[in-house]
Amino acid sequence: MRRALVPALVVTLLIVAVQLTIFSSLRFDGVVVMLVWLWPLAMGLTGNTALALVTAVVAGIFFDTHATTPFGLTAIVALLLAYAASRLGREGVGDLDSAAWWVTPVLAALGGLVAPLLYIIAGTGALNFNLWRGSVLSMMIVNAIAFFVLARPAVRLARALANVGEKVHR
Amino acid sequence: MATDRSKRRAWTLGVVAVAILTVLALTGGVLSGLRSAANLVVTPFNWTVNEVARPIGHLFAGAINYSDVVAQNQKLRYELGQAELKSNEDWPIQRQLQQISSELDVPYVGELHTVAAQVTTLSPTNFAATVNISKGRDSGILVGMPVVANGGLVGSIVATTPQGATVRLITDVNSSIGVTLGNGETSLVVSGRGVNNGLMATSVPLSTSLTPGTRLATNGLNGGLYPPGLPVAKVAQVSLTPGAATYNLTLRPTADLRHLLYLDVVLWEPTA
Repeated sequence: MRRALVPALVVTLLIVAVQLTIFSSLRFDGVVVMLVWLWPLAMGLTGNTALALVTAVVAGIFFDTHATTPFGLTAIVALLLAYAASRLGREGVGDLDSAAWWVTPVLAALGGLVAPLLYIIAGTGALNFNLWRGSVLSMMIVNAIAFFVLARPAVRLARALANVGEKVHR
Repeated sequence: MATDRSKRRAWTLGVVAVAILTVLALTGGVLSGLRSAANLVVTPFNWTVNEVARPIGHLFAGAINYSDVVAQNQKLRYELGQAELKSNEDWPIQRQLQQISSELDVPYVGELHTVAAQVTTLSPTNFAATVNISKGRDSGILVGMPVVANGGLVGSIVATTPQGATVRLITDVNSSIGVTLGNGETSLVVSGRGVNNGLMATSVPLSTSLTPGTRLATNGLNGGLYPPGLPVAKVAQVSLTPGAATYNLTLRPTADLRHLLYLDVVLWEPTA
């Protein structure tokens, strides 16, 4: 994990940069696709729990410092997604080679669907009761579709990074 | 030997911790320090991605939207001409209004100074309707100042840096504005409904005379967050739940918030 950590962190920061510079303007039905949630989820599906959690915290915290929303909420959602995905990943569910082609995209789509809800629930816990007022359904649908489309390349990249450490170790 | 090393390590850690705390305190608190540090780390990545992606984006956008851009340019030139014509026609009336306003001490019309700024980035998240602008504290912009553009109130400043500021749009879920109806008698609180969702007002008395299209402007009550008379929204829909004693209003912002390129920060601070 230690050898994969540096490249994983660099890629995570690049993804945060892509999120902030490109995806904040590239909206679908007014909704921003949250790459900073997809990336830890993809990392989790590789079964590398520790790396997934680290990327979740880094992506979430760095993203939250650029938003005016309550600090840490994006990181919490990213952590939940990463942990849930890593549990599945450890069982081999969503593996790109052994599972059917659609399993990984569907799992990612489910993550995209529930992520905005998790955010609102976490926001309610942080005593911000206004978050539900936004276009929650649009956010869920757009993120689910985007996660479905981007899941396989994201997991492929995550797997390549996770394998860096293993190859060097061997 | 080992004790010396551990002592030295403890001292080093202590000095580093004190230095970090000092920097955090000087930059305005832990969160602000964290934000600054995070900005510092992410900036080179942002710059790289921007430099690579911008030409590609422009190429695609130019190829796909060329005819739209030409048509939009022609339309804007026409509208600019119309606006200039109207401005010239309205000049005597505006002059008179300025005089009356200054006599009545109305703080908005023609009296308040504004700073024009360019919108640099949109909110990165779905849960906040904000934009970042190109001017900040160095231009006299402070937290709480109202921002106007495209014919109405756009929002207010919620954060500043020396060369930039963040504007919370009126559609943000955490935005609340005290407004008055066209007649100036009824005061309401207008709340944001999230990005692209417009505004709403609840608990409007049934005695209020309302029709779709009725304009709402800031009420400027003492202690309010905005000066009086800034156009905020028009009534889009009036709904009455059966059995309820009040109306609910769906409102459309007067300013076009979807196409914000430039905006004016009103150099006005909320009264205590």
